[in-house]
Amino acid sequence: MRRAAGLILMAGAALAQATWAPHLEVGGAFPNLVLLGVVAVTWTLGTRAALVWAIVGGLLLDLTASGAVGPHALALLPGVYAIGFWIRNLEHPNALHVALSASVCTVLYSTVLLLTGDLLGTSLTSLAVAAQLTVAAAAYNALLMPAAFELLRRFQALSRVALQPT
Amino acid sequence: MEGARAQSHGTGLFLFLCAAMLLLAMISQQPWAAGARGMAKSALAPVESAMTSSATQVGHITSVFGDVSSLRAENSRLRAADEQQRRQIVELQAAAKENDALRKALNFQKSSGHRMVAADVISRGPDGFSRTMEIDRGTADGVQAGMVVATGAGLLGRVKEAGPRMAIVQTLGDPQSRVNVYLSTSHLQGTMMGGPASLQLEIQHMLGVSASTGEWAITSGVGGGYPRGLVVGEVASVTHRATSTSDEAQVAWVNDPASTTFVLVITDFMPS
Repeated sequence: MRRAAGLILMAGAALAQATWAPHLEVGGAFPNLVLLGVVAVTWTLGTRAALVWAIVGGLLLDLTASGAVGPHALALLPGVYAIGFWIRNLEHPNALHVALSASVCTVLYSTVLLLTGDLLGTSLTSLAVAAQLTVAAAAYNALLMPAAFELLRRFQALSRVALQPT
Repeated sequence: MEGARAQSHGTGLFLFLCAAMLLLAMISQQPWAAGARGMAKSALAPVESAMTSSATQVGHITSVFGDVSSLRAENSRLRAADEQQRRQIVELQAAAKENDALRKALNFQKSSGHRMVAADVISRGPDGFSRTMEIDRGTADGVQAGMVVATGAGLLGRVKEAGPRMAIVQTLGDPQSRVNVYLSTSHLQGTMMGGPASLQLEIQHMLGVSASTGEWAITSGVGGGYPRGLVVGEVASVTHRATSTSDEAQVAWVNDPASTTFVLVITDFMPS
């Protein structure tokens, strides 16, 4: 039940990213809703669950993008893994940590996406433009991350209540 | 958060998934996998179409609120204006804008002499690096990879891949995009490249002639990638480089991909 709800949420995030999010473009960057969802899952459910949801969300993004299927899913994985490490060694996490984790994940996501593009011969973005877009996207995602985290926490609490036997 | 910290780190799972996704990307990139890839992407097209259309409705509603807030500050007399009437005005304006785009497209279709397929834009590329858009027409409608895509205003891009009921268009804003153009007044030739903010034009030097702002960049047909005579944009600024064999210019594109909702695929021209 929870997995089905999660799948619907992730599919909604991927589709909203391809249809609605580009309308919110600022400085060439727009929010990466799947990335925000995956980072929120890493904080709430742990690394293993987040790695699986990163694959689901990433593959859905690949289906809305041009070219090969897999680069977006691959690009989401290192961020989740790195945040997982960080969470493990963090004593008192707060909203700033959550926001910062979205920035770190965005930087890793963009780097891997560009490297995969180079490997597959599909990327020609100059380093300066890529850096500018990555910084803008990292800042954008960091701003939205605390809200996404809170949203997922409430959804989690709600689904717990709904699934409790009466 | 405590639960997350208690979980195992999953290095094995991470490495396995990385390898699997890399392998999937390399396999799905192969030309023989294009059919299966297109069919998988087509499956999402109807949902994307529905979401885009609902976004347009939301846009109409938010524009009503936007109008209300700005007009309130401007003129207190408008506070008493009827909300329903205002909504109707906004909707009529949106319809007029759409009608204008359709009329331009129809004129363009008639004057260009090309056979075309009209399509709606249903989504855009999910990352900021590739400037692509998905349209709701595919191989079933005669759309094929390589075909040129335009709007009533001018050239938009090229079909990069096509599935049965959808196609992905690489716009001129994509960093991979290259178009050979000539300038309307100086007749200088150059190559247009995509960029996140504006289109970059590299103009070849010609003795005694220089490019100037306000000139129109039009497809030259050189190289056979695009038909000759499609408007691309207006030269916004020129940087003359004395030590180089070319000048650089910024071109204001006639199309705004962010607000483009309707395109025309030229079906009787394929790049040579």
